[in-house]
Amino acid sequence: MGRDRFVRQSLGALYSRIKQARILMVGAGGIGCELLKNLVLTGFGEIHIVDLDTIDLSNLNRQFLFRQEHIKKSKALVAKESAAKFNPHIKLEAYHANIKDPQFNIEWFQGFKIVFNALDNLDARRHVNKMCLAADVPLIESGTTGFNGQVQVIVKGKTECYDCNTKETPKTFPVCTIRSTPSQSIHCIVWAKSYLFTEMFGTSDDEAPEFDHSEDTENAKEIENLRKESQALNSIRQSMGSVDFARKVFEKVYKDDIDRLRSMEDMWKTRQPPAPLNFDGLSKAAEGISPSIAQQDQTTWTEAENFAVFCDSLKRLSSRLQKAQAQDAEAAAPSVLTFDKDDDDTLDFVAACANLRSIIFGIERRSKFDIKQMAGNIIPAIATTNAMTAGLCVLQAFKVMREDITKAKMVFLERSGARVINSDTLKPPNPNCSVCGVMQSRLIVDPSRATLNDLVEDVLKTQLGYGDEFSINNDVGTLYDPDLDDNLSKSFVDLGVKTDSFLTVIDDEEENPRVNLSLSISEKSLPGDTKPVQVPGKLHIARKPKEVPAPTANGASNGHAEITGTKRKRSLEEDSQREPKRGKIQMNFNTDGFLINDVVIADDQNDGAIVIDDD
Amino acid sequence: MENSTQPVSEAPVTNGTTLPTTNGAVSMGNGAVDVPAQDFTQSPGNYRYEPQLQAQSQTKTLAEPISADEIALYDRQIRLWGVKAQEKLRTANVLLINMRALANEIAKNLVLAGIGSLTVLDSSIVVEDDLGAQFCVSEEEIGKNRAEAAASQIRRLNPRVALQVDTEDIQFKQPDFYAPFDMVIATDLDIATLSTINASCRLCNRPFYASGTHGFYGYIFADLIQHDYVIEREKSNRPTALAPETFTRSIVATSTKKENGKVIEMVTKREIYSPMVLANTSPLPAEQTNSRRRKLQVPPLLSCLRALWEFYTISGNMPSHSHPDLALFTSLATEKHQELLLPAETLRSDFLRSFLQNIGSEIAPITAFLGGQLAQDVINVLGQREQPIQNFLLFDGEEFKGPVYALHPIFPDMDSILEPPIAAPVAGAEMPMPMPMPV
Ligand SMILES: [Zn+2]
Repeated sequence: MGRDRFVRQSLGALYSRIKQARILMVGAGGIGCELLKNLVLTGFGEIHIVDLDTIDLSNLNRQFLFRQEHIKKSKALVAKESAAKFNPHIKLEAYHANIKDPQFNIEWFQGFKIVFNALDNLDARRHVNKMCLAADVPLIESGTTGFNGQVQVIVKGKTECYDCNTKETPKTFPVCTIRSTPSQSIHCIVWAKSYLFTEMFGTSDDEAPEFDHSEDTENAKEIENLRKESQALNSIRQSMGSVDFARKVFEKVYKDDIDRLRSMEDMWKTRQPPAPLNFDGLSKAAEGISPSIAQQDQTTWTEAENFAVFCDSLKRLSSRLQKAQAQDAEAAAPSVLTFDKDDDDTLDFVAACANLRSIIFGIERRSKFDIKQMAGNIIPAIATTNAMTAGLCVLQAFKVMREDITKAKMVFLERSGARVINSDTLKPPNPNCSVCGVMQSRLIVDPSRATLNDLVEDVLKTQLGYGDEFSINNDVGTLYDPDLDDNLSKSFVDLGVKTDSFLTVIDDEEENPRVNLSLSISEKSLPGDTKPVQVPGKLHIARKPKEVPAPTANGASNGHAEITGTKRKRSLEEDSQREPKRGKIQMNFNTDGFLINDVVIADDQNDGAIVIDDD
Repeated sequence: MENSTQPVSEAPVTNGTTLPTTNGAVSMGNGAVDVPAQDFTQSPGNYRYEPQLQAQSQTKTLAEPISADEIALYDRQIRLWGVKAQEKLRTANVLLINMRALANEIAKNLVLAGIGSLTVLDSSIVVEDDLGAQFCVSEEEIGKNRAEAAASQIRRLNPRVALQVDTEDIQFKQPDFYAPFDMVIATDLDIATLSTINASCRLCNRPFYASGTHGFYGYIFADLIQHDYVIEREKSNRPTALAPETFTRSIVATSTKKENGKVIEMVTKREIYSPMVLANTSPLPAEQTNSRRRKLQVPPLLSCLRALWEFYTISGNMPSHSHPDLALFTSLATEKHQELLLPAETLRSDFLRSFLQNIGSEIAPITAFLGGQLAQDVINVLGQREQPIQNFLLFDGEEFKGPVYALHPIFPDMDSILEPPIAAPVAGAEMPMPMPMPV
């Protein structure tokens, strides 16, 4: 009987381990308040809370540990005080501090059984991800936007880490990036949605908000070329419904325009030039591919499959537009179609067109599911989603505590009407991930006498067998490579390489290079008869896997709440019961546009990504 | 189990006086004890609730337009569901019955969101076990009425919400007690009590939710009788047909408006519901049982919940770990599983064991999840936007599963949707008639 009666009843033997567990929660905002309540009630013995923020009025509608009288106070400290009342037997420790502060070093992270990320920004998430990998502590990562929420478990060496996937952030793009020099899949998606789709089925004078014209004057000539391209496309539009309509469109945007771009040699000095596609070749390759491939939204379609979806969706959209135009012949305004991510005809077209363009520019293709997310909007945080997501975080923690990582899942909230939750098995680490696809080790350094040369000669070349082609880097930049040996005689102290900072060794051998080696510095006074720089234990550094495309780097961390498109997966098991998507509920509809706190809240433009600085 | 989830088995608190509460609301109480579930008609008429109380608090909020302060406070959610839905929310009057951990979560979420008025009803007292997952009560409140105890915490979450406390046993409530509420939510109760509340709600045409948890497992049931909601979307050139979309849902109206140069279509959809007493004996939708693969996906939790309700109806308590109880429960679960046309192998013994182990328990992550889900559905329904739960959500927190099934006494194939309804086969069960429209 008593306070822990029901946790004992439901958790059995696990409860005694939970009572002894020392855990860390980073972030005491929307998810954090809910999570802390759950953790305290569940009986985790010792909980540490870190948050840099102070409480704001607009937090109070969901961060229920805070009240009017707490405004401007530390979130971490108030959360601790409020949550302590839920269970006086729990030890709580709060830090009103930045998780990136040096006091929160690897050793400190190693003191926790589990770390929970309840953060609202990419930068801090990536930092905690890195620290948990270095400390080898399981991380439960969560995020919400609007009605969507997701929870992921990250265990070093066993699962994907937070950075195994590219993170996309909404923003505007220079016109030339979209129209001439795309380098990421989002560029191709914006091109397909806001340029090609609009030119083919919309009103071409509709300007897409993604387009940033600030650099236009610098590219006046190219802008003029692009205008001509649009005009030519518009004349092709007049032949909609004709037998060779698909060929005309295809050859215009995937061959002629690409040939023209390719001929501008200046553009491709530092970039891979685009390679045009061949309509006849693809027609042949796509023979026998059923248009129903478009329903497989989890898989990344092949070139031929994308071609098949392109032709099929073009046909569907053309006949819709023509039917509408026939019906509305008397209407004053001409009929148009608009992109709607919940309208499968339009989404199929955009997905296929974006992927075909990606192929041309050597960019990775995306699943329709991912493209839908990336073409959609970012929406703000609410109490109920945070509550559900925080509940799922604790359920995931149970799996981790039972050391049954195979039962932990990638979990998503879903609002299809058929279910409220969906899950996917955790994926193995991406071998090319620049964060977890690395060898990690401590490097013990005697600050009184260690020089960079000691690391290069004694440790890397002699002990670990590196050849001549490698570089040593840190946050600041490159410290050493074969052409940069000025620093070799400098001490670690002079180079500013301090305890708890990281050095990354990148092997540049052409044959069979090693994976990156990440060294975390520990300063220690070493006996005079031993080497001043040492690696503890024996290291076996794996070699990089061959020719797997690396995830594109994305430095655009902007401190905004976000959920990534790449991570949203749905299990295939119950797909067939989902209702047709056409005309489904739009979950991000604001009825009016209005202005609060100097932030413009747009109405639901399917393309107007809104970013809200949250928590 | 000596401390079941079912207040019916417990003596209601006797509290014969009407207590003023801090915000001027009134506590309901009475001195009657031990009236069986179906016997509420014997409850004397002078315990009748006075609906004027709610009506007054509602007219007050209705009169005042939403203030700039409120817009700042509710900023994030208004960005999500719009100011019109927020206006509807702030005039809504909700009844929440039985204040265990799940209801604590629901209350928190509704109050944070800014509903107009909330009445929390519970006649039992706080015991030490309650401290485990009920964050609204603390050690000092052991022995106090559970609704009263929770109310003091809930009130602090959002002083703008008018909070009422009712300490009378729900068994004594007359059907018209429910009339002043825009929404009735009953948690952690037995099927007979839930069915009675549901029937009363139908009499006064009030939407009803039932929800409960047993440790890692839980459910939400919705009987919104007939619910219309509006989906807004950019008008496409394909005309929207006024026609059924599923067996329970149809498009009943469309209109358009212009916004920032775009034509927005507002599509009114209507969902039709069945009462819990019928849903509880209804088959799974045909599309769920027409293939073996889909049958295998149906969690055995549905059979177990039905078995548990029947067990309670038969024996008046929850199954203990005694051999006869386990044998009865297992045979009931097997029977329900067969009735649902589900394959025997999905009613695994390890699941049965786990379910039995969890009966009566409440743990924070599960109540947080379901309380969040239910509150969100209520918010959407009050705001008349978004597809609501239709009509039975199962939640398995061990497996991370949360399917929603439309359980209705009649469920023809989609092909025959415009034909007269044909009864779906239910093994060994009589076929109830479709529920008539409410008065
Ligand atoms: Zn990684």
